[in-house]
Amino acid sequence: MTAAVLDRPLRAPLGRLLAAEVRWTLRRPRTIIALAALALAPVLMGIGIAIAGEGSRGGPGGLFGALAGNGFVLPIVAMYMLLPVLLPLLGSMAAADALAGESAHGTLRGLLLAPVSRGRLLAVKAFGVAVVVWLGVLVVALSGVVTGLVLVGSNGLITLSGTTLSVADALLRIGLAVLWVGFQVFAVASIALAVSAWTEHPLVVLAVALAFVLVSAVVSALPNTEWIQPYLLPTGWMSLTDVLRDPVPGTELLRSTVKALCYSVIGLSLAYGRLSTKDG
Amino acid sequence: MTSASLVEQEVGAAAAAPTPAARTRGLRKVYGSTVAVDRVDLEVPEGAVLGMLGPNGSGKTTTIRMLLGLVRPTSGEVELLGRPMPESAGITLPHVGALVEGPGFHPFLSGRENLRRCASAEPLMASGSIRGAVSEALERVGLSHAADRRYRGYSLGMKQRMGLAAALLLPRKLVVLDEPTNGLDPAGTREVRKVIGELHAAGTTVIVSSHLLAEVEATCTHVAVLHRGSVVAQGELDELLEAGSPAVVVSTPDVQLALDSLRDNGIGARSEQDGLVVDLVGTTAPYVVRVLVESGVAVHEVHRRRAGLEDLFAQLTESEESGDQG
Amino acid sequence: MNRKRASVTAAVAGTVVGVAGLAVLAMPASAGSAPVLPAVSAEQLVQSVLTTKSVPAFAGTVRGTNNLGLPSVPGLGEAGKFLANSSAEVRIWSDGEGRGKLELPSNSGSESIVYDGKTLWDWKSSDHTVRKSEQSPAEHREHPQAASDPATAAKQIIELISKDSTVKVDGTATVAGRSVYQLVLAPKPSERTMLREVRISVDAETKLPLQLSVYGNGSADPVLQIGFSELTIGAQDASLFQFTPPANATVTTAEPKQDKAKDFPGDAASKTVGEGWDTVLVGKLPTTGATDKSGRSQDPMALLKQIAKPVSGAWGSGYTIGASIGNAVVTQDGRYAVGAVPLQVLTNALEQSK
Repeated sequence: MTAAVLDRPLRAPLGRLLAAEVRWTLRRPRTIIALAALALAPVLMGIGIAIAGEGSRGGPGGLFGALAGNGFVLPIVAMYMLLPVLLPLLGSMAAADALAGESAHGTLRGLLLAPVSRGRLLAVKAFGVAVVVWLGVLVVALSGVVTGLVLVGSNGLITLSGTTLSVADALLRIGLAVLWVGFQVFAVASIALAVSAWTEHPLVVLAVALAFVLVSAVVSALPNTEWIQPYLLPTGWMSLTDVLRDPVPGTELLRSTVKALCYSVIGLSLAYGRLSTKDG
Repeated sequence: MTSASLVEQEVGAAAAAPTPAARTRGLRKVYGSTVAVDRVDLEVPEGAVLGMLGPNGSGKTTTIRMLLGLVRPTSGEVELLGRPMPESAGITLPHVGALVEGPGFHPFLSGRENLRRCASAEPLMASGSIRGAVSEALERVGLSHAADRRYRGYSLGMKQRMGLAAALLLPRKLVVLDEPTNGLDPAGTREVRKVIGELHAAGTTVIVSSHLLAEVEATCTHVAVLHRGSVVAQGELDELLEAGSPAVVVSTPDVQLALDSLRDNGIGARSEQDGLVVDLVGTTAPYVVRVLVESGVAVHEVHRRRAGLEDLFAQLTESEESGDQG
Repeated sequence: MNRKRASVTAAVAGTVVGVAGLAVLAMPASAGSAPVLPAVSAEQLVQSVLTTKSVPAFAGTVRGTNNLGLPSVPGLGEAGKFLANSSAEVRIWSDGEGRGKLELPSNSGSESIVYDGKTLWDWKSSDHTVRKSEQSPAEHREHPQAASDPATAAKQIIELISKDSTVKVDGTATVAGRSVYQLVLAPKPSERTMLREVRISVDAETKLPLQLSVYGNGSADPVLQIGFSELTIGAQDASLFQFTPPANATVTTAEPKQDKAKDFPGDAASKTVGEGWDTVLVGKLPTTGATDKSGRSQDPMALLKQIAKPVSGAWGSGYTIGASIGNAVVTQDGRYAVGAVPLQVLTNALEQSK
């Protein structure tokens, strides 16, 4: 140790911190179990729809009908059905473990003592949560594509507008959907991260985050709530089906993405406010 | 700033008065209506091994948490390695290794994986040397054989060693160990003492908290005794030992008679495990012996007792208690 | 402590930015100052609208909003929803040369109508059917969907009511991001209608009517509004106006000259009483009851009893349904009268047509 070492704050390389966070997150058994369960969901849906056969018209968003002979629709159907509860659950779980869970294990203190500044810590945690979120959505999409191609088969994607897209275009649409769904789920996860900064109990985080999603969904379904609807996240979730129209109507997709970003900013700000002032 | 001016600054400071490794002034922490720590003025000289001694709930851990910048004091100042905390945490903490409030690790990762994760967050750790540093730390605390088992299956003692290993991943200027021997068997306790001795020999300042007095007496150069959130005594271990009031231990079968006769003569005494302890306050050993013999007490043996830290600890905390009640 | 305050400030600032972002998103897009445009008289404006024959190439979204305040009808499903206050969106493309595409998104799939210059394709995604018909563009215009085109709708309205109305230009505004003149048609004071005014937003550049709003007496918000919520004028990708039935579709060819009137029971037996704003449609309901989805016969009177108020007078007795800009009366013997007028005018019309 030389005399010069005490002149400025020292920080571990950010890349190393992020890599360690992702490594830790992905080795956590419950993350692996959750991702496996999500991978299974499109398979079950595909089998269910295949058994129901032609009788399964309508369905949520009228998408079951669009699925006949149209395998590339399955990943979108799967994302659409998992978006209201299960994907937010995955994001909230990651957020719950990121701060509340680490706090409960006493490992958060270790990071603060390393030291990792609190702002940086939140950035690293948010990154880890984002990785889980987008990975989860991607797993659903990939499983959906494979299941769709195996069970239904396809020569491309027939859009709701009646046009037929090439395989490359279809994959591009699915990629767009993954990106968009990820933003929606990350918005919920950000709110969960804020709760996670306030408590040591991961279950509290899960409960609050799910309550947030479900209450939003219920309120947006109630009559005479038009004034509050533009503020609610699930209001924009219907627009996922827009990626199956041709050309894609971007307005609602973009608006709901910006809305999700606003929620993320709110959640991360609240999390930062708490994390930077709380005792370690 | 150039490195030359920095060196000059350090040298200048060292010439005036050596910067203490840690110092607090008027430290106070209030949780709601509970005062956890009050008026704590600590000073830990560089290179010292300070034992923070106190019963559970005496404010040791809270003080350590404030030293490390984990907790913001309600009032008062903290300096660590000459820098104000928690503002300078980014500067000082890379040089500080700490085990606070028990070891914190992930149950589903192996000991090695857990330490790798800790090492990744250490600013002074070069990315290339993580693997070696982790193995070395595991070796040092005697966990090499269990390094690849899941932390979940570790015994309490092994978990405690893991915490120690995390604090020892890098050479440090200061190592803070909160109850390091908690849950360790006697062999483990000896190993911790050995590690502290090595750190001390290497010039590292060590702050170790404990409610076990023998441990502090065996390993520390300095002692601070905390009681109910306040420091009731601090200084070099030797000085504190000398400052303790002298006493003689009398071996006798007639304990009650001896106590009564000494009390009649205004001499304080109490019965303890190893015999009758007589404080030599305003009296001398020959006078005590004469009183006892004249009262017909059978005296088998009288020897002068050096006031052990345990005695000091008991005295200080007892006087504090009676002071509170009075 | 300063640092603590700084981080709390940062957190509060971030939260405020997020909430402000949500508020901006939730705000209606039309807000903003009125654009400055050269003055134009109402006659000139109407003239230029009526003489604008060619619709340029454009892509847009048409939004219709209904605040009629009609009672919601139980058992009607989707149709019931449409009657109650609602809004709907249609996407529309035109290449400026007669080819066009309409897309009607809904939560249960999508219907696309493409006219490629020769053939009209009607694709329904919910059941993978394509109906193909060889129709001329003129017939295409009479398709009910064509009324969604505000250009056509506004022209019809201007022609219809100019003789009973005062017409003036009332400032400028922005609709779908474009500067517009606001053409206001108000009934002359002698009219008894419940309508206050009809406001047509005419694009300053292309003279296309972009929005049509109908206002009732005593309400600041339009009771009916149809107009572009998004509009991009410019050449469109030619592939938009071609349609190839997808592999999984069932294609049927429609017989030309379908009798559309069949879809609107009672229309054949109806006539109008009065003129201009006070026009009342009077007619007789078909004697056979309407059938609902399950094929069960429904008595219209039974349904009316659920949702309408009973009324009676010299003209007979029956039920009335009131909306914010008009009324409807159905008599016990199955006659009906509908108009944007007070109940009194309707009953007078019933008496006249007895």
